[in-house]
Amino acid sequence: MSDHVSPISLYITIFTALMVLTALTVFAAFVDLGQFNFLVAMLVAGFKASLVVWYFMHMKYQSHLTKLALAVGLFFLVILLGETMVDYASKGFTPMPPRVNPDSEFQSH
Amino acid sequence: MSSTVAPADQHHAAHHPALRHHFNTMAQQKEAAVIGMWVFLLTEILFFGGLFVAYMIYRIWYFDAFAEASRSLDLFWGGLNTAVLIGSSLTMAMAVRSAQTNKRMATVNWLILTMILGCVFLGVKVIEYSDKFEHHHVPGPNFVWASEHPSAALGAGEAAPGAEGEPAPAAATGHRQLSLTPDQLQRTTQIYFSLYFTMTGLHALHMIIGIGLMSVITWMSWKGKFDAEYYTPVEMSGLYWHFVDIVWIFLFPLLYLVERHT
Repeated sequence: MSDHVSPISLYITIFTALMVLTALTVFAAFVDLGQFNFLVAMLVAGFKASLVVWYFMHMKYQSHLTKLALAVGLFFLVILLGETMVDYASKGFTPMPPRVNPDSEFQSH
Repeated sequence: MSSTVAPADQHHAAHHPALRHHFNTMAQQKEAAVIGMWVFLLTEILFFGGLFVAYMIYRIWYFDAFAEASRSLDLFWGGLNTAVLIGSSLTMAMAVRSAQTNKRMATVNWLILTMILGCVFLGVKVIEYSDKFEHHHVPGPNFVWASEHPSAALGAGEAAPGAEGEPAPAAATGHRQLSLTPDQLQRTTQIYFSLYFTMTGLHALHMIIGIGLMSVITWMSWKGKFDAEYYTPVEMSGLYWHFVDIVWIFLFPLLYLVERHT
């Protein structure tokens, strides 16, 4: 059988790394990093997810086709998140008429 | 093509009972299953991705409300559940490894342990949800955002929700000066909790489905349906379970750790 059997020690190492990274992300949340708090949290979560995909989900040992399939999926996720954020961020680029009532956003009645 | 067909025909009489007729080899069959499962998981990634986009936009719009509401979640339960779920991913990986190495009883035991950890996660979620109901933090007519702020309790509590278009003049005093009045907080924290219940609820639904899948796989393992040559269902359930774990890896910092400092 060509399937790769990972050693138990590898799984224990990945598990330990995931737990340490969880502690790190909680610790980092209590430190005031300004705008970087969110970035740090997402980088740590992304790294944890990569460890799970690569070792627990055996992506490391899969064919190029399977890896490509994952890459395509992530590409579309980036489009979904990225393009929406670009659209949102660029809303202020075009001149807008002045707001008549600054509080209108919250007046639902 | 004929060169690949020939060996399969030769071994046809002695092939593995799990090998379907439309595949030449077990490896080919496995490859098809793996890529099919990953394509399914990609649809799941984009399914949750839509929720993440909604979360991102509302978080930018009402960051102070998200920070306030996020602080009301109990970090102990969230952290515990993260540890439990990562632990269940380890036991799931061990279950797949046991199937790979032909250890039938070890596979069954690791799967049962994974299901127990999954149930622990859901049990903690029940504690958290009931806490939200007690504190009126469930979006809807009974929602009251008044936890730490006496001023907010007066402005948005039972007195008059909304105060009829007149926002309270004093901003709520939280861990730091907030840009939103209590009346605005009452409305915008509901958006956070709507997303909280949608995202964690759909995640919990995936966990329930995962436990259901695993109970079938455990029974099949017990019956001796799998061996080192054929354990695809075990590995596919594993991929699904790890995916659910990954969703939580992102949900935990997004929901529990919006702004914990100050």
